[in-house]
Amino acid sequence: MERLNAKEQEALGQVLEAKQLKEYLRMYSTLTQNCFKDCVQDFTTNKLSKKEGECIIKCAEKFLKHSERVGQRFAEFNAKQMSS
Amino acid sequence: MSFFGMGNNNQAVNPQNIAMAEQEVEMMSDIFNRIVRSCQEKCINNKYHEADLTKGESVCIDRCVAKYFEVNQKLSEHMQKRGEARGGM
Repeated sequence: MERLNAKEQEALGQVLEAKQLKEYLRMYSTLTQNCFKDCVQDFTTNKLSKKEGECIIKCAEKFLKHSERVGQRFAEFNAKQMSS
Repeated sequence: MSFFGMGNNNQAVNPQNIAMAEQEVEMMSDIFNRIVRSCQEKCINNKYHEADLTKGESVCIDRCVAKYFEVNQKLSEHMQKRGEARGGM
């Protein structure tokens, strides 16, 4: 990456902030769809059962931890790339 | 010390630099999301017996990320070789 001066870094920072928000919203919507697909099967009622509710939470936790771990390995790999 | 007049102009914003940096971030973000999705399909059990990653899932994720990058690298080299073989076409 090119060396950016202070003003450019500031401008980039703002762009990144907007992107981060967009990413967060995208992840949230992916999570909803994924966990709905995997956890909700019972349409004899229009309310989530207790089992479905618990499944949703576990699903979310699992996905977020997964995403976190990928992030760690990703960062390690990039650090290795840049130093080699 | 004066902040005006002559002096180096290195506080000017070059939109091209920002665009390039933004492109790079975009690319990294795209790869990251693809890895998350691919490794989730390959490693995460969708029965959700518990909220934590199992040891098996954790190890799978580590290996999955490593292999994904290796595939990326291998293909990059292959594409380059192909490009050279065709006389840079």
